[in-house]
Amino acid sequence: MRTFGHLCAFLFLIFIFMCGCQRGEQTAGKPTIALVVKTVNHPFFVDMQNGAEEAAKRLGVDVIVQGAEREVDVEKQMQIIENLIQRKVDAICIDPSGSKEIIPAILKADKAEIPVLIVDTRIDTSLLNESGGFVETFIGSDNEEGGRIAGNYILNQLGGRGKVAVLEGIPGHETSDARLRGFHSALDQAPGMEIVVSLTANWERDQGFTVFQNILQSHPEVQALFACNDLMALGAIEAVEAAGKTGEIIIVGFDALDDAKKAILKGTMHGSVAQHPSEMGRIAIESAYRLINGERIEKNIPVRIELMTRDNLDVAGIESP
Amino acid sequence: MNKQIKNFLIHHGRQFGTLIGLFVLIVVLWIFSPFFLTFSNLLNVAQQTSINAIIAVGMTFVIISAGIDLSVGSIVALAGVVLASTLHRGVPLPFAIMMGLGVGFLCGLVNGILITQGRLPPFISTLGMMSVARGTALLFTQGRPISGFSADFRFLATGEILRIPMPVVMMIMIYIVAHFVLKSTKLGRYTYAIGGNEEAAILSGVNVKFYKTIVYGICGLFSGTAAVLLSARLNSAQPIAGMMYELDAIAAVVIGGSSLMGGEGTVIGTLIGAFIMGVLRNGLNLLGISSFIQQIIIGSVIIVAVLVDMALKKHQTS
Amino acid sequence: MIDKIMLQMFHIRQVFPGVIALDDVDFDLQRGEVHILLGENGAGKSTLIKILSGAYQKTSGLIKLEGVEIDIKNPRHAQTLGISTIYQEFNLVPHLNVYENIFLGREPVSIPGVTNRGEMIRKAEEILDDLGVAIDVHAPVRTLGVAQKQMVEVAKALSMDAKILIMDEPTSTLTDREIQDLFSMIRRLKKKGVSIIFISHRLEEAYDIGDRVTVLRDGRHIGTCDMDQIQKTDLIKMMVNRELKEQYPRIRMQAGEEILRVENVNKKGILKDITFSLHRGEILGITGLMGAGRTELARILFGVDQFDNGQFVFKGKMITIQSPRKAINLGIGFLTEDRKSQGLILKQSLQENICLPSIERFSRWGMMDVQKENLITERYIKELKIKTTGSRQKVKYLSGGNQQKVVMGKWLATQADIFIFDEPTRGIDVGSKVEIYQWMNRLTKNGSGLIMMSSEMPEILGMSDRILVMRHGHIAGEFLPDESAQETILQCALGVKNE
Repeated sequence: MRTFGHLCAFLFLIFIFMCGCQRGEQTAGKPTIALVVKTVNHPFFVDMQNGAEEAAKRLGVDVIVQGAEREVDVEKQMQIIENLIQRKVDAICIDPSGSKEIIPAILKADKAEIPVLIVDTRIDTSLLNESGGFVETFIGSDNEEGGRIAGNYILNQLGGRGKVAVLEGIPGHETSDARLRGFHSALDQAPGMEIVVSLTANWERDQGFTVFQNILQSHPEVQALFACNDLMALGAIEAVEAAGKTGEIIIVGFDALDDAKKAILKGTMHGSVAQHPSEMGRIAIESAYRLINGERIEKNIPVRIELMTRDNLDVAGIESP
Repeated sequence: MNKQIKNFLIHHGRQFGTLIGLFVLIVVLWIFSPFFLTFSNLLNVAQQTSINAIIAVGMTFVIISAGIDLSVGSIVALAGVVLASTLHRGVPLPFAIMMGLGVGFLCGLVNGILITQGRLPPFISTLGMMSVARGTALLFTQGRPISGFSADFRFLATGEILRIPMPVVMMIMIYIVAHFVLKSTKLGRYTYAIGGNEEAAILSGVNVKFYKTIVYGICGLFSGTAAVLLSARLNSAQPIAGMMYELDAIAAVVIGGSSLMGGEGTVIGTLIGAFIMGVLRNGLNLLGISSFIQQIIIGSVIIVAVLVDMALKKHQTS
Repeated sequence: MIDKIMLQMFHIRQVFPGVIALDDVDFDLQRGEVHILLGENGAGKSTLIKILSGAYQKTSGLIKLEGVEIDIKNPRHAQTLGISTIYQEFNLVPHLNVYENIFLGREPVSIPGVTNRGEMIRKAEEILDDLGVAIDVHAPVRTLGVAQKQMVEVAKALSMDAKILIMDEPTSTLTDREIQDLFSMIRRLKKKGVSIIFISHRLEEAYDIGDRVTVLRDGRHIGTCDMDQIQKTDLIKMMVNRELKEQYPRIRMQAGEEILRVENVNKKGILKDITFSLHRGEILGITGLMGAGRTELARILFGVDQFDNGQFVFKGKMITIQSPRKAINLGIGFLTEDRKSQGLILKQSLQENICLPSIERFSRWGMMDVQKENLITERYIKELKIKTTGSRQKVKYLSGGNQQKVVMGKWLATQADIFIFDEPTRGIDVGSKVEIYQWMNRLTKNGSGLIMMSSEMPEILGMSDRILVMRHGHIAGEFLPDESAQETILQCALGVKNE
């Protein structure tokens, strides 16, 4: 039983330690805004978190940022939202892990009269309306537009004729689907462009490596690659290097991660579509703050999206640290 | 009287220990968060725990029989998408649910047959099944979730009986039945016997191959049950659902005092284990603690729980 | 004289929560002697040697090694003091070879971090030669037999310059011939001045190898004397404090009708043309050296293993036995030789163990009738005089003799007609032994037929009504139990021609 004392003491200390950290920031009367991201294990969402926390500090509100351990785990995300409803936060900003699956959680927030703001990934509006749910706004950049930008870039680089490979995100993800839609719509303008292979690498870097390595084996004629995120693109670069084809294949990614920017400067990668997650985080908190204060906000708040290449990277690098 | 208490402690010491752990956790959270100890939050926790708890029941059977099942998460996904597509084809609800449960049971049986007839180690065969079931689910749906179900079906997750959410009601029923099966049926007795000493069980006339297969079947069946609840809860069945659920289930079983060596364990312990994890997640969310620290704390609790368990065991033998 | 004394223990007391395991025990050991430690299970022998080997810390008392007071802190410390213990369960790593095992954790090094293999091999060979044992030092330990593994353990102890060697029932799993090898090795060690504490249940052995004997009972020291000055019956009296009329109380009776006939059972490479019959009320003893095929035969009779051809006639009908379940349903019980690995589920209670084979009697539609189980369990606890806190106690907390009684109980509960006993009294104390023999009497009186596989000659002679000797998988001879037959039986088992 003595060991039990130790366990209890151990747990107790952890809690006191952490609650100490939390309490310091909490003061009565301050509104609390929650930001629920897909996962905290991804640089994109870390940027978003930083943006949100900066804005919160400036506005004098408390912010709680939480995410599931795994990006695909909608159920965990739903649990987090349920728990934050119990916590009676004043507003919840959600970057949904599943555009349909998260709707039951939104309904619960609606019932508890907590305003919901959607960030980055669109939810299925028709299903939401059908279920009688309501969200205040969508804050995010247009992934479809981003895909189109990437498509146009590749189209121009290849002069309207060439064979292209695509690395998709997790199938059924709205983000991936939208980027693909945009990309396809751009390539459809030029009959000379052909997508010879389009496979998923599940958003992951190591899968990007193996999948693209296989693609290089089966389709050595590929001239350009569009990867639906940078992690997969970075994996693919390594596969290209391993095959000794560095620079021969045009590679465009998405998200403009730091590693991707470095690769672009190095010339191993050609471009990356930049969303501005920290801006999304900032706008989300600002909009929620305005809502809490009784102001009205737009139904759709666009966040700028652009292609980063060697030419504009220096400028862009300063803009989004 | 004193001796009785001592005997009780010797026989139930381990469960007792985890229960104290849960209790301490609840008290600590109650002190630090005004939102924790409310009726609605406790129901919320119970509901969030139910899916892991139900998978963990099956895992308890498997672990008591000295096995392991890594495929439960993938079976949840496969059973879920089969159920969903059956529903979308207009098959009546009870039959669709039976399809989902049946797929789970069948996958479990295949695990069992590979282990008993193919003489594969459980780790290997269920590792294989983990991949096969996941792949089948992705292939079956072309990777896309199947969404939108009838209100009748969704009642399984969103409905309430006497203010108790349906998943919690089902969890309680399943635990009562599972406890009875383990403690008072031939199947339960054999499960412990096989895990405790397979050779001795064979030499005592236990048809070990048959019962082992059944045990894995049961584990699959409970994964199927979890799939029904998960699909109803999310109003969608995803082929990528249930990833890593096996680890949560194993953690619940281990925190609950079952030995991975087999022959020991109770479903009550597992329930407490699942609740420790559920309460912890909920509490850390309520306190607004960073997700990074949450992972550290959950991992630490698993390690501490097993350390304490081993210490108690040593205490018992000396 | 002082010089001759190796080890002295005074007023040793060991208290565990609720139990006094040793109470004021004195013990001494001289240089180069074999000191037998006798006592029933639970008498305190194991506790005493665990104190010496550093596994337990004594509660009070004094230990002197070569006249110097010592305090043994842990097993490692005991080894550095020159006290090595060889337990029944060996401490060897199966996948490493012999010399690696001998020097495990103490490998000689040439450059730091690099083991000196040549040195290890040379030293290992030297030690084994000294012991007079021929074992290939390059052989992986898993390929060795029990006796050879034991020799490796001894070699390991000697490599640590052991002055005192403690051997816990070293002969219990050896054949007679291997025992003789072990004894000649012990005699060599004696000559080199190594002192040996030898725990055994077999009195014959004690007389064979021992110089002195100490008897413990209920944690107390009963007496120490020279081996050649004490009668066997007196020793037994000291151990059990009750007169045992006979060690083997067999009541022979008229054999009844034939209950089982085994005809021409063959299994390639293992069994050859096994034919015999068993009658009601009879104990059929089957003996032979290790590896003669006794256990294999038992497993086939019980439906565990498959065989090539042959047939069984049970109560006048031809039958097949495909599984243990079928065997149990027919009325056959099998008490395996190794109760811990095959007979019992140690993590479970007496009740769960006793009721397991006859579970059909206690269940209906898959549901257990716990009350009925409890009733039967209580009955067997009482009838078999099992010392336990109750039917819910886990079997692992029982002593060896009581565990064996639980194995008895579980097969009695099946109400079988045929019982196969494989080494029924291995490693248990004299008192429990006699009780088990009495149960055998009772079973035969009730009309059961018993097959007793045993390698203990006195037991075979003392309890059997007929004796079959197996050698190389076939039945080499059939004998009647008669003191004078002992020699011929041994010759038959060894395959020595009688001139």
